[in-house]
Amino acid sequence: MSHRKKPSNAHGSSQSTSNAGPTATQEEEDDATFTQPSTMQVQKGLEKLTPAQVDQKTAEVVQYFLVKDQKKIPIRRADLVKHVVKEYRNIYPEIMKRAARTFDQVFGLKMVEIDPKNHLYILINKLEPVTGASPITNPTNPKLGLLFVILSVIFMKGGVVRESVVWKILKNLGVDIGEKHEEFGDSKKVVIEEFVRQRYLEYVRIPHTEPVEHQFRWGQRAEVEVSKPNILLFMGALHGQEPQSWSQQYQEAHRAPNSSQSGTSSQR
Amino acid sequence: MKRARSGDEEDPRQNASPAQPQSDGDSSGSGCGLSSADMQHKEDSPGTRREIRSKYRELILSVQKNREDMLSASNNKLTEVLEKANKLFQDVRQPREAALDAQLLVVTTDLGNEKASQLSAEGASFDSVAFTEHLLSYMGLKRLTNGEDGQQNGAAFGYLPQDAWQKVAQRAENCFRAAPSFHYMMGSFHAEPPPPKQRIERQRKAPTKEVKRMMPTQLKKMGDSHQEATEKEVERILGYLKKYYQDDPTSPILYYEFVIDPNSFSRTVENIFHTSFLIRDGLARMHLDSDRLPCIAPVEEGEVEAGGSSIRKQCIVSISPKLWKEIKEAYDIRNPLIQPSNMQPE
Repeated sequence: MSHRKKPSNAHGSSQSTSNAGPTATQEEEDDATFTQPSTMQVQKGLEKLTPAQVDQKTAEVVQYFLVKDQKKIPIRRADLVKHVVKEYRNIYPEIMKRAARTFDQVFGLKMVEIDPKNHLYILINKLEPVTGASPITNPTNPKLGLLFVILSVIFMKGGVVRESVVWKILKNLGVDIGEKHEEFGDSKKVVIEEFVRQRYLEYVRIPHTEPVEHQFRWGQRAEVEVSKPNILLFMGALHGQEPQSWSQQYQEAHRAPNSSQSGTSSQR
Repeated sequence: MKRARSGDEEDPRQNASPAQPQSDGDSSGSGCGLSSADMQHKEDSPGTRREIRSKYRELILSVQKNREDMLSASNNKLTEVLEKANKLFQDVRQPREAALDAQLLVVTTDLGNEKASQLSAEGASFDSVAFTEHLLSYMGLKRLTNGEDGQQNGAAFGYLPQDAWQKVAQRAENCFRAAPSFHYMMGSFHAEPPPPKQRIERQRKAPTKEVKRMMPTQLKKMGDSHQEATEKEVERILGYLKKYYQDDPTSPILYYEFVIDPNSFSRTVENIFHTSFLIRDGLARMHLDSDRLPCIAPVEEGEVEAGGSSIRKQCIVSISPKLWKEIKEAYDIRNPLIQPSNMQPE
């Protein structure tokens, strides 16, 4: 009962293309046809192929990832197998291993499975972000600013925030979800559809609310991609305070990576 | 305040399934458990029952409506509601009232949860208002003076500069370990497209609409001829040009009249070729007359600038036998202006 995925899909994000928000049933179906081959099977499979063939297939997987990652939408294992790996699925683990190595050594990227259950992958940067403002000023997507504000608020408020809180804060910053925004257009759509699809945010229904209300949490991508200490540093700079002054958040930010998945919320 | 007895549509549900308390967590508040023995009590009149239910609904409504108020840490309104509910529960006899009680429990627990999460045991609290204020300053908000009315808020919001969100985005970049987006390197996008070149081309083409490229092929043909012979020919033609010009300086010499030899197509071509040298060297110039026909005239002695000139245009002249015949007839050329030299093979 992954009540994470289904409510967010109900907001019509899965209508347009097959890329947007996979419906739970379809992806389970596709995935069900793929079973992870055993090491023995992989070995046997490798024997039947030339190294050039395996390299070629690996390269194709790498390219698929790179292009898919442009929009920051997670890559589904089912899609990968169906469209790229195809008849090489019996050596799938070997290909993935090599692809990961390529990403690591050639591109400085990490291939991360952010959803072990549904087998979703993303690419993140292997390198730690530079502290302070970046020395390179290339044009950044302003949506990143919007996302950053929301993620920071969620983090500073303990990991879960009601949507009304977020909308109010955005309104104070001149982003009214009831109106078309100059830069973001339909800002609500950007937040609850685009960011959710990219797995930066989770938008879950709060039970028993009438009228229906939702809450925001960090999404699976944010958990691995976003640096909490750096958010605190920015907060500190903004407020003219030491990051340590927010002791709870500070503790959370500098917690060991394994336990950071659950966030600070004690709900559920 | 007794309510009139309407059809009592609520009755069918009286002995329906018992309440399903959906509490999210433990909460000391309304208790649980009904004793069926109490059902026989005298207070079991429909009026009282309705009263209790209406009180419950009132409480639920008040919690939902005054949510913000109840959340505030400065008062105990939530506790008061719970205390009222406690008292009400004493009189609860039937499942329907218990259901309402359970509903109230859910709503208040929710609030309680939120209130609890607002507490920070230690460390500075995070105030979203302060946050937005600071962020707006960072973004470079230009506030409006009191006289003008702002945008949505009513409280004058002010104007954010165009790149405000861009600025935040750039600062925020370092919080993300995002993989850079993959794009093909298709070269510099800041290179200027060459519209000036195109314009020049068009200018070139305009005066020479009927012409096609034939000069290169001519060159190939003439590749065998001596340099000297060519030069001599050019000079000879220059001589003709000057002569005709001096005869009547005011009347312009039509180019085609000049070069066409009605008796020989190949000589016409040679004439064109040699004339082009005159133009190249700045010894003659061409222009369009009022009928937009090309005319040629020698350049005055003093004006000759070999090599470089301020307004130089190039054009390509071509001619075909068919065209030659047409022009011959159109201009009614009987005699060649450029007399064939004796040296020419034909």
